Amino acid sequence: MNRLAPRKILQSYGTILALVVIVLVFSLARPDKFCTLTNFINITRQISLLVMISLGTTLVMSVNEFDLSVGSMASLGGVMAALLAVKGLPMTVCFALPAVISFFIGLLNGWIVARFRVLSFITTLGMSTVLSGVIYQLSGGATIFEGIPKSFSFLGTAKLGRIPLLSILMVAFVVLFWFLLEHTTLGRKFYAIGGNEETAKIAGIRVRKYKTIAFALCAVMACVTGMLIASRVGSANTTAGDGYFLQSYAAVFIGCTVSRKGIPNAAGTLVGAAILGILANGLTILQMPSYMQNIITGGIIILAVIAQRAGHGDAA
Amino acid sequence: MLLQTEHVSKEFNGIYALRDINFQLDAGEIHGLVGENGAGKSTLIKLLTGVYQLREGRLLWNGQPATISSPADSRALGIRVIHQDRTLILTFNGIENCFLGLEYPTRLGRVDWGAMERRVRQTMEGLGIDLDLKKTAAELSPPQRTELEIVRAMMTDCRLLILDEPTASLTDQETDRLFRLLRNLREKGTSILYVTHRLDEIFLLTDRVTVLRNGQLVETVPTGSVTREQLIAKMTEQTAVEPICRRESFGPVLLEARNIASRDGRVKQGSFSLRSGEILGLFGLGGSGRTELLECIFGCRAITGGTVLLDGKECPGRTPEVSIRSGMVLISEDRRGKAVIGNLSVRDNILLSSIDTFSRRGVLQTKEGNGAVAKQIDALHIKLADPGQRMLELSGGNQQKAVFARALMTSPRIFLCDEPTQAVDVGTRGEIHRLLRQKADEGAGVLYVSSDLKELLEVADNILIMVQGRTRSCWRNRDLTSQQVLACCYEDQEKEVWP
Repeated sequence: MNRLAPRKILQSYGTILALVVIVLVFSLARPDKFCTLTNFINITRQISLLVMISLGTTLVMSVNEFDLSVGSMASLGGVMAALLAVKGLPMTVCFALPAVISFFIGLLNGWIVARFRVLSFITTLGMSTVLSGVIYQLSGGATIFEGIPKSFSFLGTAKLGRIPLLSILMVAFVVLFWFLLEHTTLGRKFYAIGGNEETAKIAGIRVRKYKTIAFALCAVMACVTGMLIASRVGSANTTAGDGYFLQSYAAVFIGCTVSRKGIPNAAGTLVGAAILGILANGLTILQMPSYMQNIITGGIIILAVIAQRAGHGDAA
Repeated sequence: MLLQTEHVSKEFNGIYALRDINFQLDAGEIHGLVGENGAGKSTLIKLLTGVYQLREGRLLWNGQPATISSPADSRALGIRVIHQDRTLILTFNGIENCFLGLEYPTRLGRVDWGAMERRVRQTMEGLGIDLDLKKTAAELSPPQRTELEIVRAMMTDCRLLILDEPTASLTDQETDRLFRLLRNLREKGTSILYVTHRLDEIFLLTDRVTVLRNGQLVETVPTGSVTREQLIAKMTEQTAVEPICRRESFGPVLLEARNIASRDGRVKQGSFSLRSGEILGLFGLGGSGRTELLECIFGCRAITGGTVLLDGKECPGRTPEVSIRSGMVLISEDRRGKAVIGNLSVRDNILLSSIDTFSRRGVLQTKEGNGAVAKQIDALHIKLADPGQRMLELSGGNQQKAVFARALMTSPRIFLCDEPTQAVDVGTRGEIHRLLRQKADEGAGVLYVSSDLKELLEVADNILIMVQGRTRSCWRNRDLTSQQVLACCYEDQEKEVWP
């Protein structure tokens, strides 16, 4: 038992320990630039978008499915919001309408996966391609920036004192999703389905319904993230969300290792995104070439997945 | 003598699945192997095929001591096995399937399909089998697949062919063809070990028959020298078990099933009625469709026909959710696969079915939920360190109790229990029996499936028998012996018996 204890600790807190080590290393290397309040605030803003899109991914992964269309969904969200803004519609409509549309796209994703029991991997890959086509049709393939009113940029750039609104939104969403997963029946049912679909079904949980809900909420989060990306830069790039897709899965996978049960969770996702964000930030400050950044970040993602599998296998 | 085992035993966690087996098999004979569920037939086969390793006793092959420590060793001796769950690769054609595990012949570094086909054809002709080798296994009918498996077994020198319930999915004519083929093999000098629940086939096919009971070898006799009744008597213990407590009078009918048929054909015709206060035992041999019947009624297996009546009212459109809401629970046989969620906490597992009753506007009322869970844990004496610990950390018996706790949280009136005491310790077994009896006394109905006949005779008020997808007879569990019940299972004609 005693011999096992350090291993157990490493399993439970290894990821957080890694985060602390990373912060320490950067702080020691460049205390003047890295370890400053301004930079920390900066980091929270840099990771805020990744955290939000990853929270949606966390839901889909909690029912043991994948949504590979989050990247294009985010791009589409930005494009739709920007187009509506150009048309001169009120900002509430510009941000609300795309969210509603994405909800239905997510419902469709979930319905197909749950109803026909097909692999979500392939289904959402197909949906991703469909969405790219729609984006092209809407935008003509060009970045939308002309005629976007100033007010469109408010959400993405506003600050409360020194704190960006995006950072505040991020914290609010993390708390919301933590509550949703831990303290609502919806979240508990998600986890039950993800843990053992057959058992959940026999215990009377409507697996199809809840899977569909998970996909719908995931799509909404992707869309919201995409709109905020557009708002932040004041324009909508047709591939703005693409880079977030793999990163979000990396964040969720790292996040799983934070949980004792090895399952996707909101706090873990925040830690995962923070590790990725701090690495990117610190390595840039150290003027590490971008290929080195890729090698280090990718390596950490692989390590996290191995760590999660090892933690799981040990118990099962 | 081709094969001989001397004092072979096999234990699992201190329980002997086989004890002191001295089994002999001659060259060129068809040898039947019979016994009840759990008599040790599959354990013996798994020892011979290298799935299990022999630790106690020894094995003689052609009079020479031999060790079989892996499936490869078993193949090298010339032992082949054909299981009831076929082991063909469905997307491969006949030739590829026959060459599974064999080296593909090559010419100039390329696979020589012509040579492969010639070799398979040669084997087929020798056996008198005619199959379209270009078809994938998925395109073949069940008997053709069995034939393909036999061809595969015969591709290399096969001295002993073991067939485990090969006719489960065959019609009579298909069975005849298989039997001709097997006799043909015998003429060529291959020994056959034939395992089945169908005694008719034993008498039709085999030269000698060995009876196992409770892991012990009862006797090996020439098939011609025994009658069916004598054989059944050898397979069962003569004791009639005294039930703990029986009821004679029951309340109104809670659940009635009429002519249930499942879409996959595993259940052909399931009919019964379950009354308030009754523990109805459901017995059937392996593959008789017991589990499937329960799943049809509970709504987690598609049905194509039949009606389910609750309190006399028809209830179409069954889903597990609807069933639970109408007061029914299913304790699944497959605990790991269908009853527990290993990586979630015991508390989450127990709350699973009743979670909505502890929610206010979707928010889980942790205190109330935890309180109710704690009550169940106390009532059922579930041993754990903390309700928050993961389910898979509990012992089998405690996991099963937690599954019952989940069921009780929904205050059910109808219990569908599928092997509820499987792989639990003796203490828990007794507790589960008492719990169900108590619930029945309070007015619930219990449908109790077990492949342990003695257990059923112990707990059930009435016993329903299921044979090959059909419910057959319902007996009052009074002065009933396991022999009578088994005789009914082995009976091939449909007969209604109400003693």
